[in-house]
Amino acid sequence: MLNHLKDLSNLIGVSGDENKVREYIIENIKDKCEYKIDNLGNIIAFKKGKNKIEKKIMFAAHMDEVGMIVNYINDDGTLKISPVGGLYVEVVIGRSVIVSKNNMKGVIGSKAVHNLSSEEKKSSPKFDNLYVDIGSQSKEETEKYINLGDTVAFMPNFMEFGDDKIKSKALDDRIGCAIMLDLISDELEYDAYFAFTVQEELGLRGARTSTYDIEPDFAIVLETTTASDIPNVSEEKVVCKLGKGAVVSYMDRSTIYDKELYSLAFEISKSNNILCQTKTAVVGGNDSGAIHISRKGVRTIAISAPSRYLHSPASVVKKSDLIACENLAKMLFLRIANI
Amino acid sequence: MNLKNTLMELLSINAVSGSEESAYNYLTNILRNYTTSIETKNGNIIAHFGNRTADKPHVLVDAHIDQIGMICTYIMEDGFIKFSNIGGLDLRIMLAQQVIIHGKEDVYGVISSVPPHLSSGKSNEVKEISELYIDTGYKKEELEKIVSLGDKISFYSDAVELLNDRIASKSLDNRSSVASVLYMISLLGEENIDCSFSVLFSSQEEIGERGAKIACFEIEPDFAIAVDVTFAKTADEDPYKCGNMDGGPMIGVSPSLSREISEKLINICKKQSIPYQIEVMNGLTGTNADQFSISKCGVKTCTCSIPLKYMHTPVEVVSIKDIENTSKLLVEFLKEV
Repeated sequence: MLNHLKDLSNLIGVSGDENKVREYIIENIKDKCEYKIDNLGNIIAFKKGKNKIEKKIMFAAHMDEVGMIVNYINDDGTLKISPVGGLYVEVVIGRSVIVSKNNMKGVIGSKAVHNLSSEEKKSSPKFDNLYVDIGSQSKEETEKYINLGDTVAFMPNFMEFGDDKIKSKALDDRIGCAIMLDLISDELEYDAYFAFTVQEELGLRGARTSTYDIEPDFAIVLETTTASDIPNVSEEKVVCKLGKGAVVSYMDRSTIYDKELYSLAFEISKSNNILCQTKTAVVGGNDSGAIHISRKGVRTIAISAPSRYLHSPASVVKKSDLIACENLAKMLFLRIANI
Repeated sequence: MNLKNTLMELLSINAVSGSEESAYNYLTNILRNYTTSIETKNGNIIAHFGNRTADKPHVLVDAHIDQIGMICTYIMEDGFIKFSNIGGLDLRIMLAQQVIIHGKEDVYGVISSVPPHLSSGKSNEVKEISELYIDTGYKKEELEKIVSLGDKISFYSDAVELLNDRIASKSLDNRSSVASVLYMISLLGEENIDCSFSVLFSSQEEIGERGAKIACFEIEPDFAIAVDVTFAKTADEDPYKCGNMDGGPMIGVSPSLSREISEKLINICKKQSIPYQIEVMNGLTGTNADQFSISKCGVKTCTCSIPLKYMHTPVEVVSIKDIENTSKLLVEFLKEV
């Protein structure tokens, strides 16, 4: 899973432009299961298990990452950008980026600190005032390499560091994709569907169409969720912690999760020594929001890896938590099949 | 000497002000090809060229070797590091920046802070340095085996090549100038020139031009050129405060500089068809030149600056052409002085 995660995190796949991620996944599943690509670009895969079951169980993870999109080329050759997905301007300035489709390297700089007024020093600039510099000297030169609508992502930077930690862009949600690749590689006990979805960061859009198509009875969403276990955050606002295992939430801003599946997750965690924690606040959301109300409703649970600094160029996760997520997903799948 | 490769190698060195020793090896190895007289002390690297005699002028060519960064001031209970700035940091760009803590070994980290939705402050308010911490991924006990208070911290970002021979990286302030001076030495090669000169790669410029002050005291030059970087025009900078990328070296003109040297440099550029720009300052220059000009009985001093975008960020940008033209100007100056 970690090898897949490294490869996947270093790929560029801003919402609506998931092609490189999709190709990588197809390359890794094509001999192992049936699959198709739907009209939005979701990968819908089906893998036969050793045993056939009546109910349909679906795993889901999104392929897209937050980023930016080029919406104008300035006369001096720099690119105007706007955010795609929830992106704070604070984590964008002073970074190097990569612009599709020609993989142009660029930087997002800003007026030198020496020349800022004391007012300017104290408040973050607006997205409207930022621009990407690819080294071009004119609009004409830029137009040779860049088209309006090209997406902009943080520079690939996957790295293992500290005590069992990983930092990278796009861990949200290449972690879920990497776990699903593992599951597809395994011999499965029962039939299973897999949705690698697009446009989650724009409002759970790929999940909507792929779930409609698969028409599952149960869904296990594999995701990441915000951990605020950092200094000066009061205990109740920490939400979840690195090193405390998979996160299974009773409710977030998109979904009230299936109560039986929620209890089942903790029961499995206890009897199998898989670390599992819940969220201490109702925050965030994921593809579950679209999945659980698809058609006549889908019994849904999300298993998330706790992650610091989500939607930044350097999110941080702990490897042992990722393994807990994968193990919990496998066990939960077996139990759901027998509900 | 391949200028771009030399620059890239210089960018891979981390020498935050006060820890310039990390650059000693790389620089002395290069300098040794051209002179036997090399000193390293107080963070400064000084190399002497030519026979110094009373009847010939002695020139000091300087580029500071240090870079801005941070310093570890406290290790928190949960293994996060509190830090202070070394040099002028832009606090607007700090969140989720990746850094290296130069402990007993290099430790990688991410700059952390209470996220906007959990803090009481306004959402677009920039965090004070006291509100920032470095997440090293270690527990306190493990971290303390590797990291000590006072360890230096630098930004972690790989250099990136952009279009038109432009490089984006941390520390281009002032490795661009160091590369330019090294390239100047290689261009001069065995050439006989009428003056003797010393090259100074000076320490602690970013915290008040301290290495330059003490080195100039010992070198006692007749003329001094401070090679540094200056603001290049970007989409959000005022044009009257900036030079242009690819416009050539910016020759300083200021009440605090020697007008004689400024004019000499300008005339050389005209004569040799080296592109140049004039950087007018209305007092001090904010460079090592401020120290050279008032060293001992005074030294005739000028600045020669390479235009650079996004100063003091991990994505500063320079043009290789400007670095090269700066080297050419310095070579011609040494020949003519």
